[in-house]
Amino acid sequence: MPPDDGHGRRDYDVVVVGGGVVGCAIAWRLGFTTARVALVEAAHDVGEGASKGNTGIATCGADCAPGTLEADLVTRSSPRWEELCASLDTPWRRMGTLAVAMTAKEERALGHLRDQARENGCRADVVSGDEARALEPMVAPGARAAVHIPDDGIVDSLRLTIGYAELAARNGVAVLTGSPVTGVEVEDGRIAALQTPRGRLTARFVVNAAGLEAGRISALAGGDEFEMWPRQGQYWLLDRELGGRFQKIVGGVPTEVTRGIYCVPTTNGSLLLGPTAVDSEYPGSRAVDADTLGAVFAAAHRLVPAVRRDQAIKLFAANRPASDPVYRVGRDSRVSNLVHATGIRSTGVSSSPATADLVHTLLAEAGAPVEREDAPAERSLPPLPRLLGNPDPERLLDLDPRYGQVVCACEQVTAAEIAAACAMCVPPRSLDALRKRTRAAGGRCQGTVCLAGVSFLLSLHMGMQPWEIPVGEPEATLGVAS
Amino acid sequence: MTVAIVGAGITGLACAAELAPAERVQVFDRIPVAGGVHGWRASETVALGRGARRAGATFRLGVTAIRWAEGQLLAVGPEGVHRVAASVLVVAAGARPLTRAELGLAGGRPAGVVPAPVACHLAENGLLAGRRPCVVGGGDWAHRACRELLAAGADAVTVLAPGGLRRAMPEGVDVMEGRSPTAVEGGPRVTGLVAGEERIACDAVVLAHGLAPLRNVEGAVWDAPDVVHAGALDDPATVAGAREAGLRAAAEVRALLGSAAAA
Repeated sequence: MPPDDGHGRRDYDVVVVGGGVVGCAIAWRLGFTTARVALVEAAHDVGEGASKGNTGIATCGADCAPGTLEADLVTRSSPRWEELCASLDTPWRRMGTLAVAMTAKEERALGHLRDQARENGCRADVVSGDEARALEPMVAPGARAAVHIPDDGIVDSLRLTIGYAELAARNGVAVLTGSPVTGVEVEDGRIAALQTPRGRLTARFVVNAAGLEAGRISALAGGDEFEMWPRQGQYWLLDRELGGRFQKIVGGVPTEVTRGIYCVPTTNGSLLLGPTAVDSEYPGSRAVDADTLGAVFAAAHRLVPAVRRDQAIKLFAANRPASDPVYRVGRDSRVSNLVHATGIRSTGVSSSPATADLVHTLLAEAGAPVEREDAPAERSLPPLPRLLGNPDPERLLDLDPRYGQVVCACEQVTAAEIAAACAMCVPPRSLDALRKRTRAAGGRCQGTVCLAGVSFLLSLHMGMQPWEIPVGEPEATLGVAS
Repeated sequence: MTVAIVGAGITGLACAAELAPAERVQVFDRIPVAGGVHGWRASETVALGRGARRAGATFRLGVTAIRWAEGQLLAVGPEGVHRVAASVLVVAAGARPLTRAELGLAGGRPAGVVPAPVACHLAENGLLAGRRPCVVGGGDWAHRACRELLAAGADAVTVLAPGGLRRAMPEGVDVMEGRSPTAVEGGPRVTGLVAGEERIACDAVVLAHGLAPLRNVEGAVWDAPDVVHAGALDDPATVAGAREAGLRAAAEVRALLGSAAAA
């Protein structure tokens, strides 16, 4: 099947390469214009790299280095979250961070952290240990002091990425998953077309938002030479019986190397511990190891003694796209119709709306036809109601009786929600992709009870046999043919 | 006083039959039949269910209890939403094997690491989790997974029993006792399971070790004052053990109701 938009079209004004949060945000922004746009993603779903393995913190920019493009884009994004997440049906909460000092040395670093935050225009105050515990009783009794950053938020980064892609798709962007770029055709210093195993796309302009693959994409195009490498982070995900009691994100004092280990309440009530930050060789590994996880747990336990190992529901790792310098967002110096949006190593979620705007501007400056806003474009996704925590379940069952059929008991995901996810413009093509959209099989029992039922339902929606259903990529099947 | 019981297995039924003569008892189960893991046709299921009904207990089967707040249980089913005001909630929802995270398994995330209930459910529908699966566990779920996988056509099944065998495994199964799994290997599907120095080649890892209670009613947290958590967590599970757990839960409910009445 050729990668077209369902109408046989394979020529585009702009092709965005990479369906992570950055690429999807750019596609979302371009979807409001009259330009013909495609998003190509190598994996079977959008948001399969760093966008699904991160803390979910949407930082207000307090700890960004002042004066950098990162600080500028993150602080410009921060005020937009309430409206943006409402429009993308994405869970979000501005809950604030406590950066907690446990030692005298850490305490001495707090003034700098506060001053840096204020230099970035972010609210920040140094508070005493007692004040910190009043704001978040989970903080360790030995805390000496903390910086309180009230405007940091938490976001469901899976739903955010999918939300960007879904609204883009509803506004006519062709979202082509399972389409890795294998070749780039260049004519007179400009990209003419991209090759994928599923066909060829002509492109008047190309955005390189390929994350870890961005260096390879640029090389294929004869563009700027730069190297990308994975910075691995390992995480614990703890049960929402604990996470749901948090009022604040709790972190340590960032160092020059890393923002440190956080205890992050998630939007669905669970608690994330992490991440580590270890540079490795391309393409990196998503394996976790006991030593690293033990160190993460110890660092988290030092800040929040209530965390327990037996509350773990998932242990996982992901790779952020590192490069030097970070935030390579700009036009290529050699290829005139190529714009890079990469090296966005750790704040890709937090800067995504402003990064999308910047890329839109860069494309316009390069001459791409992206300046006319498309009047009939949809500005928001229709919200998909969920049973979990819903104040009016009677209304849901009136809407669709399948809300009475709970498939995943841990997350209380119903057959109605699974059907709605499968009817999306960017539909799930695996159990993982369905989990990202609905949380089915993502709760404390991790599908122990429901995964077979979920796979039967998904197979009906996908028109496949249950044994053909992939867990993730197409070859990663749930079972084997008997 | 009204007592809501979530779970119509032997434990929930025994609790209901014990309490129903004196209290108003409502029993919920997400499955449309009673009996839980012991099955709806078991003689004890039939007898306890009959006893509970005769004493006045009512049953809502095929209805999922989802939320407990301020003395009200919320449940949903195909025919609508149920709200039941109750003085005490009993959660007797059964148990499941431990997850990958609970076992602390390191390694990557290849497909083919499958919880035993899922492997059994799939096998009953003719789908194999793997042709050469390694089953982690030594009790009921391990036994059942071995049986179902062999019946569905698995070529060879290895059992890795970290705590030793709690019951005999089906014939033809290779057993390794006393070793704990540490990491999974492979990608895109599983190729091996590491247990310390050993590496077991396999194309699926079936998680059947240990038991954790199922408790999916939001708000019914461990330390809630008006919730009784019931369940035997015996492996192998016995009807007698489940019944005793139900009677213990009934005694706890009476104590809670008694102290509530005294206050």
